Amino acid sequence: MFGKGLRGVFCAAAVLGAFFGASFGTFSTQARADEPGVTPDSITIGAFGPITGPAAYIGLAGRDGANLAIKEINAAGGINSRKLSMVFEDDGHSPTKALAAVKKLIDQDHVFMIFCVAGSNGTLGTIDFVRENGRVMYVSFASAPGVTWPFARNLFRGGTTEVPRYGELYAEYLHEYLKATKIAILNGREEYPKNEGDALTAQLKNWYQTAPVKRAEFNIGDKDFTPQLLEIQGADPQVIAIFGNPAEAAIAMRQAKELGMNQQFFLGTTMVDQSLLNVAKQAAEGASGFALLPLLPSSSNPEMKAWVAKWKQEYPNLPAGRPNVFDVLSYSDMYAVADAIKRAGKDLTTDRLIDALEATHEYRAGAIASPLTFTKKHHIGNLRLQAMQVKNGEWEPVAFEGKRESDILKRYQ
Amino acid sequence: MTWRIILQLALSGLSIGSIYALVGLALVLPFKASGIVNFAQGEIVTFGAYLALILSGLGLPYLAVVPLVLVGAAMFGMATERLLIRPIANQPEFTLVIVTFAIGFIIKAAIRLHWQDNTFSIDAPFVGPPLVLGALRLNPAYLVFILGTVVVVAALFLFFGYSKFGKAMRATALDPIAAKLMGIRIGSVFSAAWALSTMLGAFVGLLLAPVIGINPEIGHLILKGLVAAVIGGFSSLGGAVVGGLLLGLLETYAGAFFGATFKNLVPFGVLILLLLLRPQGLAGASSVRRV
Repeated sequence: MFGKGLRGVFCAAAVLGAFFGASFGTFSTQARADEPGVTPDSITIGAFGPITGPAAYIGLAGRDGANLAIKEINAAGGINSRKLSMVFEDDGHSPTKALAAVKKLIDQDHVFMIFCVAGSNGTLGTIDFVRENGRVMYVSFASAPGVTWPFARNLFRGGTTEVPRYGELYAEYLHEYLKATKIAILNGREEYPKNEGDALTAQLKNWYQTAPVKRAEFNIGDKDFTPQLLEIQGADPQVIAIFGNPAEAAIAMRQAKELGMNQQFFLGTTMVDQSLLNVAKQAAEGASGFALLPLLPSSSNPEMKAWVAKWKQEYPNLPAGRPNVFDVLSYSDMYAVADAIKRAGKDLTTDRLIDALEATHEYRAGAIASPLTFTKKHHIGNLRLQAMQVKNGEWEPVAFEGKRESDILKRYQ
Repeated sequence: MTWRIILQLALSGLSIGSIYALVGLALVLPFKASGIVNFAQGEIVTFGAYLALILSGLGLPYLAVVPLVLVGAAMFGMATERLLIRPIANQPEFTLVIVTFAIGFIIKAAIRLHWQDNTFSIDAPFVGPPLVLGALRLNPAYLVFILGTVVVVAALFLFFGYSKFGKAMRATALDPIAAKLMGIRIGSVFSAAWALSTMLGAFVGLLLAPVIGINPEIGHLILKGLVAAVIGGFSSLGGAVVGGLLLGLLETYAGAFFGATFKNLVPFGVLILLLLLRPQGLAGASSVRRV
């Protein structure tokens, strides 16, 4: 007579009991590690960048540089008794793929934070999601202003500065150091080179009331630049500024020389690297630009040589052209992140990490890196770039330092 | 726009068009012989460039690298046809298309495993200061592209027109069953067609490597090669050449007159217009169906 009714009660009680038991177990686990990606002995960092496609030279270097740093940090005992691990996703230099990668890292891999070694193209696809999500994203390479403006508490820009600052330094260098008043710009049509071109154009207008005499664009993957170069030649510039990828810039420079154009070249930051010289060869002689680091990997500085030696020991089979500046940037930025995680303490949370990052003052991972400073008001770690020029087939530092006060930090006041 | 600029653009358009023509030829050859479009042809170009890089790294001069790359590519083409294509030759066309895509992906992935996406270069005797012809400047490499295409077209013309094996290939392309009945070993014909095709693709890679650098993405030329082949009529070798040159000129002038955005827009727009007006292409034959 109790039959079905009592069986039903017992079943319900069993189900509820199992539910609460599982919840208690989960809660117990979570009580040891409230933050995703943080356990008593590990911290999982998610990372993304292009490891396929034409921008793979930055993502591959970003991944490898960061991995080298993590390996060293773990070998030295980790951070507050926790070992770092990294889960890396390819974004193919596409905003949609980048967003998918970040969502996977956060929602499926449950990482503690995001270390971004993507270009501006990919990074911008993730900004809105990350802002809303609240996970810390530390951006090592992307120079798009959207990373740090409007200000978001959980977004940080490390070794590379933002592109309006590029514009300031480029304009000052071209106008006051090279004494050039007629500047032509040839830029790729994707986000980053377009931003560089826009920043230079804007700053030439703001500070010197001038405009480029010609501006032409090219598509990524183009192999012939004759139409654009002839257009620029007609404007008779003193300097040709090229912003894009090393492969395309090298071809454009060679074709310009072949067309009898003897103007000096000024190159965007991603091209101040050995990979451009491999293809451009003699056409690059005399070209100048700004490096993202105080020292290039080809430098004879003892500290850089020692760093390159240990990098090659870790990656013995990688080809010529590596390590590049992005290897060094991501390596030193991972150390900056690790330093902040350490200062955040054993009871690691997103808020504590943000507080620790904002307390970072002139941190640098040795002479190979730029000093980084974050504050509660802005998260732009670095405002410095190093002027370089190609002399006898090598990039050499130029004794130029921007003297004009930057307009960028004013908006954060 | 001055006449100097117009002529300079024409030189540039013809040189890049020569590259498209060679890729188009490399696509048409196996199609005529075996009815298969080799979508791995772009990666064959890349393969040729990397093979040149390896051989240059061993200290061989460019002129010694060229025949070795061509022989290596021919062997690769024959092996691909014999081991991967022939066993599935009777499968639906779409299966064959997917297989050629897969071959291309595998080549690119294998290249990336070792070289990743870094850019390299090799030295070549035709890379040097420009030749000055009055107000015009001609990149010697571009001259080599154009002359190389002329030589290849002439060689193919002589081969298919006057050699026994070339005639056998033409016969097989016309009617494989009849050719077989006449004693032609059509398996050898298919292998030869693929070998020729991969040699052509690798030749393009050899030409491009010293000029634009070597990276896994140089093979995206296949799209332009396909357009060249379609413009010319996919069954015509001469048509592929004309199509390639026309494409190069259209692209260059479109970029000069309308900007970078139109470099691709205009040629592909012309392609669609051409196909609407003349679906068989410039030199292709209309298909006849007896009812």
